[in-house]
Amino acid sequence: MSQNEAILKDGETLKIDHLSIHFGGLKAVDDLSFTVRDKEIFGLIGPNGAGKTTVFNCITQFYKPTAGAVYFRDNKNQVINLVGVPVHNVIRHGLVRTFQNVEVIKELSLLDNVLVGAHIDFKSSILSQALKLPGAVREEAAFKQKATDVLEFLEIADRKDEKAGGQPYGILKKVELARAIIGNSKLIILDEPAAGLNDTETMDLAAIIRKIRDAYNATILLVEHDMRLVMGICDRICAISFGKFLACDVPAEIQKNKLVQEAYLGEEE
Amino acid sequence: MNNQPNMKQATQAVNPHGPRPETSQAAASGPQPTLLGNVYFKFILFGVALGLIGASQSLGIIKASTLGYLGNVLIYAVVALGLNLLLGYSGLITLGTAGFMGFGSYLAAYFTSDMDISFWGALLIAIIVPTLFGVVIGFVSLRIEGIYLAIATLCVSEILLKTFEEAEELTGGMQGKKASYPNLFGFQLDRLTTYILLVVVLVLIMMLTYNLVNGQMGRAFHAMRGSEVAAAAMGVNLLKYRLISFALATAYAGLGGALYAFFIKFTYPSVWNINLSLYVLAAVVIGGMRSIYGTVIGAFVVWAVPDLILKNLPIIGKISGVPYIFNGILIIVVIMFYPNGLAGIGNTLKAKAMAMIASGAGTGPKGASTQADTRTPGSPSGAAQSPAPAQGDAAIRPGADSGEGVSK
Repeated sequence: MSQNEAILKDGETLKIDHLSIHFGGLKAVDDLSFTVRDKEIFGLIGPNGAGKTTVFNCITQFYKPTAGAVYFRDNKNQVINLVGVPVHNVIRHGLVRTFQNVEVIKELSLLDNVLVGAHIDFKSSILSQALKLPGAVREEAAFKQKATDVLEFLEIADRKDEKAGGQPYGILKKVELARAIIGNSKLIILDEPAAGLNDTETMDLAAIIRKIRDAYNATILLVEHDMRLVMGICDRICAISFGKFLACDVPAEIQKNKLVQEAYLGEEE
Repeated sequence: MNNQPNMKQATQAVNPHGPRPETSQAAASGPQPTLLGNVYFKFILFGVALGLIGASQSLGIIKASTLGYLGNVLIYAVVALGLNLLLGYSGLITLGTAGFMGFGSYLAAYFTSDMDISFWGALLIAIIVPTLFGVVIGFVSLRIEGIYLAIATLCVSEILLKTFEEAEELTGGMQGKKASYPNLFGFQLDRLTTYILLVVVLVLIMMLTYNLVNGQMGRAFHAMRGSEVAAAAMGVNLLKYRLISFALATAYAGLGGALYAFFIKFTYPSVWNINLSLYVLAAVVIGGMRSIYGTVIGAFVVWAVPDLILKNLPIIGKISGVPYIFNGILIIVVIMFYPNGLAGIGNTLKAKAMAMIASGAGTGPKGASTQADTRTPGSPSGAAQSPAPAQGDAAIRPGADSGEGVSK
């Protein structure tokens, strides 16, 4: 543990350190490094197939990287290497994610979907929940209240008892966001939050992401295709192409960067 | 650390006075404290009704054979509730129900008849031992999915069945094993009081199941079925919850088996074959996945309707194998038109009735649009529509979409 402390400087939350993952002969991510600072909205961009979601899956341990490390300052302020942590334990360190294709549970109400995000925060045993002992009942009520607050925060509390199945896409996206923020995680990873949203909803989303960062004191790391959203809300951006690092800078500089332009538009004659 | 925005506003929004969409178990899962008592009161009321129907046998209102059929329904309802936890909530499948139920019945019979252990002791053994087997299968279920899991559990069940036949010293072999009505604290029960005991057990199991599925564990089961990746990302330990799910299903099966031994007073191998596992599956599908009352209704349809109703009908009653045909047709009809089972039909009707009442009062938008986007939030007709799309893809495909996206 202690040797990790030196790796992340004060004010840094996450450091991707020479990360690589190979699928057979394909190098999906190739020796990638970048650092995310506290309370930052950090964007990861790149053309289709650049390996952005793969990077996310490596951070959240859905994939095991071939090489490299993912250092994270967890909610106990200790620096740990996430590589090797069981995927269901990642959230316990204070790192939560959403998915590119919304992964909500259709048969559950919006409220219950959000409560899934509080799964690890329940302290009462299954037995006391089965017998509805007073402690378990109080706990359940407290988390229901908290989930309602989160839905209220995202302005969809009026639908909290409706089932997720059949809800409009924009609502489901918000449910996923709500599920991610209920646990007060330090770092929230958003995988293409604007995918499938119309222009108004995307504008709305930009405001929401800022609001989440400020109200929940979180650091936000996002992958996004919608350049207006990325350039509009990100403090810094890392651009990658074919799994390789291109540049990491503030949005204005990224837009001017030759390598990034070439990656997106092809080389100039 | 506690930065809860809009706390004050949110508190006001907790008690919506608008119509609550009573379209699902999930909707009932967030009862206000005042309603909480009601849920359990309804379970007890349901039990009292079942008890009274049984007791009416002593007045000659129902036949003695009818009491037998109803007792069977209660026993299999317990077992089917266990399968519903597994299949309906967790999206896992087993065709091993019969084996574990038989195991429970033999354990109960053996320990009360041969070992002179008390009713409670034997009951506990009949629950715990099969449960341990279930946990092992839970481990296996992490490696194999869907149809392969079904085959594996079927094999376990058939091995158990073979054991019942061969281990003659313990099981009585093909002759079967005798048991007797339970003796509770020195009080010897007879047929009717054993039936009442079954009612009490079923009601307790219904309450327990209700508590389990409407809490942290139930949501973890739902997450496991709905999206394994989301479940894992939210900290649900898939191994742990699969084990719990299998343990509960086999515990219920073991309990059901023990109750069978105590009520029928006899257990023999041929009862515990694949047909029974399929019947339990049918009860869950027909009654309604993820519905507690639905499961009990499903058990009634499968175990009582053919013998109590169909056999008394003219012409139809004369055809041999009516129960098989009846259940087969019913399963097809339910899967095709009502994937949420009989309970789903009830909920849809209730929602429609509520919508009609509401629009009759002039509060709901007339001619509600089918576009989900355009509906008034929280409007009753909107709520009535919401179960429809959910039904479409709630067909039985246990574990069909599990595992996708998770790369190991």
